[in-house]
Amino acid sequence: MAISRVVGSVFQNPRSQFFNIDTDCELAFGCENLGMNPEEIKQHVENVVQEFHLEHLLGRSIFNLSGGEKQKIACASVSATGPEIFVLDEPSANLDLKTITDLKEIVSRWKKAGKTVVIVEHRLYYLRDVADRICYVKDGQIAEEWMPAELEAKGAAYAACLGLRCMNLEQLCEGMVRQAHRHDDIASGEIDDIASDKNNVIASEAKQSIIFSNLTFSYHHKHPILDIDRLELPCGQITALIGHNGAGKSTLAQVLCGLLGSWRQKRAARKRGTYLIMQDVNHQLFTESVLDEVLLGMKPQDEKLALEILEGLNLKQYADNHPMALSGGQKQRVAIGSGISSGCDVVVFDEPTSGLDYRQMLAVSATLKKLAASGKTLLVITHDPEFILNSCQSVVRMEHGKVVEQYPLSGNENQLIKTMTGKL
Amino acid sequence: MKLDPRTKLFLAAVANGMIFTAPLVYSLLMVAVASILLLLEGKWKFVCIFFFVYLSAGFFFGQVKNLDIGTSGTIILASLFLMYRIMPACVVLYYVVTTTKVNEFLACMSRMHISNKVTIPLIVMIRFFPTVYDEARAIGNAMRMRGIRLFSLRTLKSPVAFLEYRLVPLLVSITKIGDELSIAAVTRGLSAETKRTCVATIGFRWVDFVVCAYCIVVVVMFLLRN
Amino acid sequence: MKTTGKKSSNTLVRDLVNVGIFGALYLVLSGLGASIGFIPAFIVVSTCMVSLVTSVPLFLFFSKVERPLLCCVLLCTLFGIVMTISGHGISFGLLCVVYGVLAGLCLKLFHKNFVGCLLANVMISFVPSSMMIPLWSSTEEYLAYCSSVCDKAYIAHLAELSSSYWPLIGLFGFGAAGAVVGGFIARRMMKKHFERIGLAQ
Repeated sequence: MAISRVVGSVFQNPRSQFFNIDTDCELAFGCENLGMNPEEIKQHVENVVQEFHLEHLLGRSIFNLSGGEKQKIACASVSATGPEIFVLDEPSANLDLKTITDLKEIVSRWKKAGKTVVIVEHRLYYLRDVADRICYVKDGQIAEEWMPAELEAKGAAYAACLGLRCMNLEQLCEGMVRQAHRHDDIASGEIDDIASDKNNVIASEAKQSIIFSNLTFSYHHKHPILDIDRLELPCGQITALIGHNGAGKSTLAQVLCGLLGSWRQKRAARKRGTYLIMQDVNHQLFTESVLDEVLLGMKPQDEKLALEILEGLNLKQYADNHPMALSGGQKQRVAIGSGISSGCDVVVFDEPTSGLDYRQMLAVSATLKKLAASGKTLLVITHDPEFILNSCQSVVRMEHGKVVEQYPLSGNENQLIKTMTGKL
Repeated sequence: MKLDPRTKLFLAAVANGMIFTAPLVYSLLMVAVASILLLLEGKWKFVCIFFFVYLSAGFFFGQVKNLDIGTSGTIILASLFLMYRIMPACVVLYYVVTTTKVNEFLACMSRMHISNKVTIPLIVMIRFFPTVYDEARAIGNAMRMRGIRLFSLRTLKSPVAFLEYRLVPLLVSITKIGDELSIAAVTRGLSAETKRTCVATIGFRWVDFVVCAYCIVVVVMFLLRN
Repeated sequence: MKTTGKKSSNTLVRDLVNVGIFGALYLVLSGLGASIGFIPAFIVVSTCMVSLVTSVPLFLFFSKVERPLLCCVLLCTLFGIVMTISGHGISFGLLCVVYGVLAGLCLKLFHKNFVGCLLANVMISFVPSSMMIPLWSSTEEYLAYCSSVCDKAYIAHLAELSSSYWPLIGLFGFGAAGAVVGGFIARRMMKKHFERIGLAQ
């Protein structure tokens, strides 16, 4: 009780920090808990609404807000109680790059008001101008401490070797081109040729691409959420799907996998064999052991084949473990395994690297590259430019339910970063 | 036209009490006041649809009453008739649920000196229904991708396994959200000891007295009907 | 997780949040289970369905809370409040509290072992079973409505149903049987899944 007067916390996941179903109540909630009198609370809430420009969010159901809006409400409702210290736990994990700029603004406003702000975070670039000090925690102790400029001066390689994300997005692409070869060596030998002459591969495999047609979806006829006539994905490659929150990326993924849409779209999806790896992998693990999980989707159940799949995903030693008891990355691999076993050629990932540090991101990237090398076609919804530069070969950008542009990655890195940060 | 939540609860209680104990007329008296209140809220569409369905159902029952349609027909008819009896209470309930904000309801509970130990779970529960729905839908989607369906041979063979696939991921993710939520609760200052205040302004006004008086008159009329 | 000594107020908040969560889940699942009762022939069996479906979450709930008595009473009270608002008499709400106290006592006396959980589960299974009591307690009014529409044979059937107390016992019996079977399923699930994941001790 006493601590909540002094410290205000914002968490990573919007779904588990709200206590009300509409925004007005949520903004007043903290103050109500502290037992302030109603007049005072109204004053506080009004101030916060003006300060954060939330007029358009008042009186709405929290469950209809986008991730960025939710995080804004969370910051504002914590701010309403007027704590001296703010603690933020990975506040940017579920946000797109444009919304992160808003978050940065909020943080700098707090800083200007003389508050203490502590942010636990993997993404460092947006804190470059805001943070005064960066602490690197290892084994429960503060192992290193830098000024942001100091860390940046040490270079990307140093940060990468500590498992830190990059400090500067603009510098990122130059560094990436240089590092590309090295990472691919780590990931797996098979993909070397793809990495070394990307352009060649794209040119030669351009004929072999999977074509999806009739990707439309709407709740009301007048406002289609998704309106794509034709989408072409190069076979055996990783394609990144980018676009701001609410552009229709998840809807596209669900229509592709036959979870939404008319029965004709669903039947087409079933024939095609498309599998979705959800953002929260816990939703798609059902059985009591990893082996059963892979066997569950198989039509003729073949234990030998299942073990082979597990072997390919480095999961063979966990075959008898409970899937839910594994680590996040292992769970994701189990889900991938279950997708492979149900005979899918196209695998769609929904933000596989949100909330991961550099090292974990590389591991996911390696898994995906291996999967693509084995002939699967991958489509990855992501807000993570580092991941895209690391592992994808082409990029699809969506806006308002439509594909705005589609281009191969190599040569267009700068354009990618600019569109993602909203500077174009 | 804002009523105090307590008045609404009283209205709902009277209407619900009438379902099985009083003749239809008394329920209709409650429908009258509820539909006037709904019209004042601007929900004329709902009121129109309700009256259309209700009156045509009443007409239908009037026609069918004297026909001999066999036992199975009667059973269906009797269950339909039960629905017909419950409909007036549903209108009142619709009015109460759609026009009461959660914080007004909580303010009313704190006015009635109900302990935090009841209000905290209630806040969490109301907030949690949409979450349960979202999680269940996501799990349903995952099951469909794996070809596990409710209406299939596999489910018939082992219904317990189906229950397991459905429940276990749901319980796991929900208990995780619960753990995170209880941490958030502590940081937001939610505790059983402090007295919460409420921003929502509630209080009895003349409308409340009119509605309460009306309800009491209906109840008295019902008790004195013989 | 074993508690020793004074329980802090943080664990109280955690318990209260858990009551809210499992209350929501219990309401949704029991509603789904009871929806089978819309088919008139299955009315008596619907309670069995409800207790089968809800016993796994309830077992997890029992193992997670640290104040079994308080939490069971609150869970049943919440159910009672919601049901009272949505059209059941206040007497049903009070009955819910009584069942909650009984369930909590079962848990407390048996220190949350399997028998205690099973008994508590049976007690809570009486909550949905009791929802049908008005059919017997206010028979005359109920029949009076039906007679205005139904034919005589069906009324006689209903009257027979309500004059004997067997169907009522059946409701409770099926509910309890479902709770016992569900309890065994729940124990298996706890061993198979939740204990291995580390969600329950």
